[in-house]
Amino acid sequence: MSTGAPTPPGKPQAHALNCPGCGAALTVRSFNNAVTVVCDSCHSILDAKDPNFQILQQFKAATGKDRPLIPLGTRGRIRGTDYEVIGFERRTIHVEGVSYSWHEHLLFNPYKGFRYLTEYDGHWNDCSTLKALPEIVSFSSPPKVKYLGETYKHFQTAKASTSFVLGEFPWQVRVGESVEVSDYVSPPRVLSSEQTGNEVVWSMGEYMLGKDVWKAFRLPGSPPVAVGVYENQPSPMSGEAKSIWLTFAFFLLALVILMIGFDLAASKEQVFTGYYKFDSNKRGEASFVTDDFEVKGHASNVELTTSTDLNNRWIYLNYALINEATGQAFDFGREVSYYHGYDSDGSWSEGSANDTVAVPKVAPGRYYLRVEPEGDVANGTTYYTITIKRDVPQYSFYGIALGALLLPAIVFSWRALSFEHLRWAESDHPMVTSGDDE
Amino acid sequence: MMRILYVLYGMAVLIGLSVAEYQGWSLARISEVKNVPRSVRDNPGSYRSVYSSYHHYSGGK
Repeated sequence: MSTGAPTPPGKPQAHALNCPGCGAALTVRSFNNAVTVVCDSCHSILDAKDPNFQILQQFKAATGKDRPLIPLGTRGRIRGTDYEVIGFERRTIHVEGVSYSWHEHLLFNPYKGFRYLTEYDGHWNDCSTLKALPEIVSFSSPPKVKYLGETYKHFQTAKASTSFVLGEFPWQVRVGESVEVSDYVSPPRVLSSEQTGNEVVWSMGEYMLGKDVWKAFRLPGSPPVAVGVYENQPSPMSGEAKSIWLTFAFFLLALVILMIGFDLAASKEQVFTGYYKFDSNKRGEASFVTDDFEVKGHASNVELTTSTDLNNRWIYLNYALINEATGQAFDFGREVSYYHGYDSDGSWSEGSANDTVAVPKVAPGRYYLRVEPEGDVANGTTYYTITIKRDVPQYSFYGIALGALLLPAIVFSWRALSFEHLRWAESDHPMVTSGDDE
Repeated sequence: MMRILYVLYGMAVLIGLSVAEYQGWSLARISEVKNVPRSVRDNPGSYRSVYSSYHHYSGGK
């Protein structure tokens, strides 16, 4: 790309001329700004500054093979200014034996000059030439440049050649000419440098959706579907990932406040305790009931703790917390086992001599506990204490809530990272090297 | 948009947690039995526990 300031016309009108190669009619839309004009019929590149339209180059191209997505002569409004499509070129780079081509539509406004609409795989960019040079950031890896306070990260450098042209251009366009193109990205913008010899031209592109291009030029049908992730395509997640983690931080704070609040507000009132003995050798009915006790306050949980003297033994306790007045019972069984020892791997232990369980939503009233212990005959005698407290905070809920809050934030971040991974996969600085894929 | 959804989701999680804590929910497997006869008080062996036939742990490592 190379542009100069446009020469304002006296009165906007297209010039109708004929190609000296084939005689086909030519239309020049950018008046005196056109430096080269391409004949659509015989693909002759003509010198627009020469009164006789001297043929500068002829190239072979199948007619209709690569037509502009926005036909030449189409007018549309970009950033509040009317532009006309006057030129079209296809440019190609070769990376590791694979050719990648994109299209550039040259737009012209007699008062505003030139700008470009580039298209690659359904991704569009609105580009214009920079009037100031970006500042190269020293000692940065990958290389970075700064422009208007924004830092752009190097994406790719490649040799781009012009493989097809159509329309008119404000520079000496040639098929086959090549330049070194370097792209630096800061989505949704991209800075591109095009170097030929000692001449470097910088331009800035801003990502556009195909539907917006179609709307701007009032084109029929729908734009080509965008494939993959483009170098400066804004991530739908990038801005929100930070805000989601910020929101998570607020939720975490709220979670801690709730935990402290409920802990302080919980009565943790001990309503019963009893000390018992179970002899597994003794025959006969092992079940018994405790004295009754009162559970006060609002309906809340009741936490039952069994503390035993188990040592390489187990005991199973069938519990039923029974409301004296209503006959409603909470029935549950608890296995308490504690084993430990020493082997070739060192010391080991399994289980615990103590057990705690929370009984949910216990209404106030008078209760008693039915206990039915079970155990191996070889176990002998087990001493155990049963303690019951009401309205005890359940910290496991906070762990579950933390996980539930964390999960969407992690999934969201993972999706954002995947998007960036796809973006950089085609760059000179992929996030995963080929060695990691093996 | 995602943030709004996350805020709503997070609030639902915290409200759910608060309800669970206030009402005294539990993650333990506990069965509710209705109309336990008063005779259990005097004859505990007459009650058949839901979990009495469970397979029990029988040894360590």
